[in-house]
Amino acid sequence: MKPMKYAFFLGCLIPAREPQYENSVRKIAPELGMELVEMEGANCCAPFSIQSLDYVSWLALAARNLCMAEQMNLNILALCNDCYESLLATNTILKENHEVRDKVNEILADVGLEFKGKTDVKIFSDALYEDVGIKRVKDAVKKPFNGLRVAVQPGCHLTKPKRIHFKQQMGVIALDELVNATGAVSVPYERKDACCGGPLRGINDEVALRVAKQKLDSIRAAGVDCIVTVCPFCFLELDMGQLEIRRHLKEEYDLPVLNFADLLRMAMGMKLENWEIKAHRIPITKILNMAGAK
Amino acid sequence: MHQVANTPRGRGVLACIQCGRCTNSCPVARVVQEHNPRKLMEMIILGLRSDVLSEQLPWYCLSCFTCLDRCPQGGDVGETIFAIRNLAVRQGNIPEGILAQAKNLFENGRVVTPSRMALVQREKYGLGREPVVDVEIVQKILRRTSFDRLINKGS
Amino acid sequence: MEKAVMVIGGGVGGIQASLDLANRGFKVYLVERNPSIGGRMAQLDKTFPTMDCSMCILAPKMIECSHHPNVQLLTYSEIKEVKGSVGNFKVKVLKKPRYVDEKKCTGCGICSENCPTEVPNEFDESIGVRKAIYMLFPQAVPRVAVIDKESCVECGLCDKVCPAGAVNREQQPEEVELDVGAIVVATGFDMFDPSAIPQYGYGRFKNVITAMELERLLCASGPTGGHLIRPSEGKIPRHLAFIQCVGSRDRRDWINHPYCSSICCKYAVKDAVLIKEHKTDSRVTIFYIDMRAFGRGFQEFVNRAKSEFGIEFIRSNPGEISEDPKTNNLAISFEDPITRTVQNISFDMVVLCPALVPSKGMPELAKTLGMELDNYGFVKSQDSVRKPLDTTVPGIFCCGYCLGPKTGDIPDSITQGSATAARVFEVLAEEGAS
Repeated sequence: MKPMKYAFFLGCLIPAREPQYENSVRKIAPELGMELVEMEGANCCAPFSIQSLDYVSWLALAARNLCMAEQMNLNILALCNDCYESLLATNTILKENHEVRDKVNEILADVGLEFKGKTDVKIFSDALYEDVGIKRVKDAVKKPFNGLRVAVQPGCHLTKPKRIHFKQQMGVIALDELVNATGAVSVPYERKDACCGGPLRGINDEVALRVAKQKLDSIRAAGVDCIVTVCPFCFLELDMGQLEIRRHLKEEYDLPVLNFADLLRMAMGMKLENWEIKAHRIPITKILNMAGAK
Repeated sequence: MHQVANTPRGRGVLACIQCGRCTNSCPVARVVQEHNPRKLMEMIILGLRSDVLSEQLPWYCLSCFTCLDRCPQGGDVGETIFAIRNLAVRQGNIPEGILAQAKNLFENGRVVTPSRMALVQREKYGLGREPVVDVEIVQKILRRTSFDRLINKGS
Repeated sequence: MEKAVMVIGGGVGGIQASLDLANRGFKVYLVERNPSIGGRMAQLDKTFPTMDCSMCILAPKMIECSHHPNVQLLTYSEIKEVKGSVGNFKVKVLKKPRYVDEKKCTGCGICSENCPTEVPNEFDESIGVRKAIYMLFPQAVPRVAVIDKESCVECGLCDKVCPAGAVNREQQPEEVELDVGAIVVATGFDMFDPSAIPQYGYGRFKNVITAMELERLLCASGPTGGHLIRPSEGKIPRHLAFIQCVGSRDRRDWINHPYCSSICCKYAVKDAVLIKEHKTDSRVTIFYIDMRAFGRGFQEFVNRAKSEFGIEFIRSNPGEISEDPKTNNLAISFEDPITRTVQNISFDMVVLCPALVPSKGMPELAKTLGMELDNYGFVKSQDSVRKPLDTTVPGIFCCGYCLGPKTGDIPDSITQGSATAARVFEVLAEEGAS
């Protein structure tokens, strides 16, 4: 039995804009034997916007969270791709490069912490695949989706850069198998590994939308019922993004976007609340109708 | 070029052979003519410092790392862009959106704080209290790294 | 001391070494794992830069080998065990059963004509088919059929129609032990499988092929009789692209061929010219990083390709290929180096020029021979400067591409074949004198 107790790293975006994602994970986890321990006081992971400003600030902020997990003697479970990337990259750099580690520890000493390199970082989908296992997930599915055609959006930072995410292939394969385990079908499409444009949201919205459009064009061409995301940035960019593309680029897709945790939750027989359904800008009525169709 | 190469994220520029695979893989280069990773590396190699660090040029990148995974020589374009950005911000070139996130981070320990709706939903639907950040710790760290001075420069 | 030598590998390098040694009075055992000698050169249509017919140059040498009183061909055979040392090696060779009697078969081909079973033809890089009873190519040496037992449905038709009654399904593998004074390794190269770079769509997109597959399409003895057609529906491609350095010059851990394979720029230009000769109004674009056309005649050839044949050279390395599922056409997005803007062009066919890697089975052969390989799996020289053709085992020598990408082209393989023969002669003469 793999240890399934994790230091639960929520990140900023999910509590700020997508609390339904958190809700789904909290409901699914106990059913699958996962224990999520709160990281009280955890700070922002320092995503790309902050990394763009200063290298050491990034490492120190991310490392503080890693130290917390070390003190809790647990591995970190991340939900957001960008959090995953930031923490994993920091963990890797500090584990491998003594000079940089010493520099960061100097700063952490000010707040009474020391990075020791004793923890690992895992993202939710990999944890489900590797620790819980497909069989247990399948067994927990009470209301399988009958052939719902899904375009899986793994998001860039589930698997790139390869040298840090060296288990690259597992990341997407795991996701596909998990989606298939819910009775839905993960449909291959041309630009599956392309970026959604999310990281430029709020910084250069015009470019972000143009990139999102490329992604949506490719997804639409594959003939799917919906998109399933892992990263909350991808979710926002592809969900809210469709409204913005309708307004600014005059193109309509009508492709509902669902978070993977929500998909699994419904497949496990738990209904989404009204407020959670309304949180989707592109209505997900299609999917709800298929939920539990045998 | 050497200034960039001597930063922890900028080493790759010394390996670049200008093959163009990065630009040919970049999702932004496809839709924005100004963004051209190969050209950016070329400009660094040629020492066109002020052009590289100016205006929009460093800020189109999505950090998707497609270029990095495809570069045959370890040019690490996706990483080098961070090195350029770190230099650009020290000249006061910081996009508004990033500055806003940075300020939020310093003041609240998060890059984005919960909307009112999100807080209402948490309370109403039993998600528990809003996760609290140890802001003091964040500020202590960021003062130590002079992050606060950096963002004051930009505003 | 034995005045006999074993040559492993019947490509042009191995053939040259065998002929030189045989002409000096050595008994040569030429061991080849395919049913015919000839190697890569037999698969080519024309050679660069002179555009000579490849088989026309090779065939006389192959015939000479088969007729030479001092050369014994052991085709469809493999090396099983090597003992001893320079001057006195004992080699066990396994002759795989052809299920056709070599002494009776006349090479008439009636068996293949009547065989009902078709399987992918390895000689055509699996884009063409062969029968279960077959000869590797029309000019095969020895001109003896062979039955691929795994694919054979045992219908017995060939037994019936063979005028010489040469089919013998009772044939057993035969192991022979040979005493030789020296061994020459000339096992050549394979092409790196581009499916390891999924962004190019090889294996998924029908009209993305490797350069060797293109050679077979262009060759008159190939699956289409030399007609260049698209694998997807057989139409003639009007606009083709070549992508250089697919896997070569690549330092990434999971690819690990940081070297330049040294002949791809040359053969790509040759193939481009061939395509233009086949169809003068076709459009050919070569995407390259550097044009490495060193040596006599090659830069001139490149210049001619541009000026006389109108072949386009674009200095930009594509990152990915996308396919239009309706037309099977391929789109490549790239930065035009002149205008420095990103363009997107549609092609009918894309030819990938993959890295060249050691022949399959090299690690096992090296272990059997006790010789070292370098970190890319090529044969390691005793001293790459002073004794480049000596392996790390005294008495075992090496020539051609199995030494790595230092070998440039066919004349280089031939040169090295002769040089290795000279080394053997020298070393065995020393042994004999002592």
